[in-house]
Amino acid sequence: MPSYKLSYFNLRGFAEVSRLIFAAAGEKYEDVRYERDQWPAHKDEMPLGQMPVLEVDGVKLPQSAAIARFLAKQFHLAGKDNFEQAQVDAVVDTIYDLLKAFIPSRREQDEAKKEELTKKFFGEELPKHLQNLETLGKLYGNGGHFFVGNQLTWADLLFQNFAETFVGMNADCLNNFPWLQKNRAEVEKQPRIAEYLKNRPKTEI
Amino acid sequence: MSTYKLYYFNVRGRGEVARLIFAAADQKYEDIRYEREEWVSHKSEMPLGQMPVLEYNGVKLPQSAAINRFLANQFHLAGKDNFDQAKVDAVVDTINDMISKYRPIRMEQDEAKQKELTKTFLADELPKHLQNLEGLGKLYGSGGSFFVGNNLTWADLYFYDIAQHILELDENIFNSYPWLKENRQQVEKQPKIAEYLKNRPKTSH
Repeated sequence: MPSYKLSYFNLRGFAEVSRLIFAAAGEKYEDVRYERDQWPAHKDEMPLGQMPVLEVDGVKLPQSAAIARFLAKQFHLAGKDNFEQAQVDAVVDTIYDLLKAFIPSRREQDEAKKEELTKKFFGEELPKHLQNLETLGKLYGNGGHFFVGNQLTWADLLFQNFAETFVGMNADCLNNFPWLQKNRAEVEKQPRIAEYLKNRPKTEI
Repeated sequence: MSTYKLYYFNVRGRGEVARLIFAAADQKYEDIRYEREEWVSHKSEMPLGQMPVLEYNGVKLPQSAAINRFLANQFHLAGKDNFDQAKVDAVVDTINDMISKYRPIRMEQDEAKQKELTKTFLADELPKHLQNLEGLGKLYGSGGSFFVGNNLTWADLYFYDIAQHILELDENIFNSYPWLKENRQQVEKQPKIAEYLKNRPKTSH
């Protein structure tokens, strides 16, 4: 049994999908959370000076998507064969495309410009990517509610995490996307996920 | 017998890594290249209205990273076990971090501005990404010249391809990064790769 240690900030952010994978799988790990002021002392310990980092039996792995995919494969939440795993990866990449569209509005310092970018994101960018995600769910989901092959995979967990953030900022943003709403509801109903969501630290992002 | 069709533009761009993987694996596939005018009539055939798309046994898969990882897994160029595959993914994501800073510069229309941005990229951004990549190669490369575990993987092919764009900015760049220079030389010495590089269509990017 390998030992797992996940290091990140005290946020959901890019690490939460991995925490959701551990929770869905019922697997133990050390959930290290650094506050902003603690982080500088640990930066040099990390391969790329960034987090999240997963340590597996003492070997460090950076890059949040590589970490999540590894854990998903370890715990059979990645898709049942090569091609299903590829379909899961395609959904995941489409969710990350959505995040890339979101980040500029978060990084903008000027308040007026930030509001402009945020409005454009929720009005134009987000719907386009959500439409793409529904397309993939209907293409690969075998008629069910999960993105790929009628089973929970980390694509569903990744979507749940960022859907929660977006709905927190704009309550109506999923209203035109019933398939995605149903997908999110199915994920949050899974007993281990429901338990985890109830008890985890509450953070804004 | 599985069938593979790759749909992309008649450029290297985001399609070339898949072509390199097929070449390294000596695997037959249909290499469909649409000129810009042709693409318009095929856009709606693709799941997300974008390319590259891989059609595997008649089912379409979008997203270049998902395509590349799938092909690498099919042809044993992805890493020998879950954890090696995760290290390969981490290298790939780090290459992506580097190239995502460069792509906006390529899109800049104003020539003077593009020159300025390129100068800043070369001086401020690129070195840290190349150092990160050398760091990962030394951490995961088992003392050899390939990024992970002493075997050619798609991380090496991806770096080879992306590096070609970087070399167009500064043909001497890798003189300061001997590990990366050796890695590229090892890739282009592979007989099937050497053959492919000699015979492939020459395109602008």
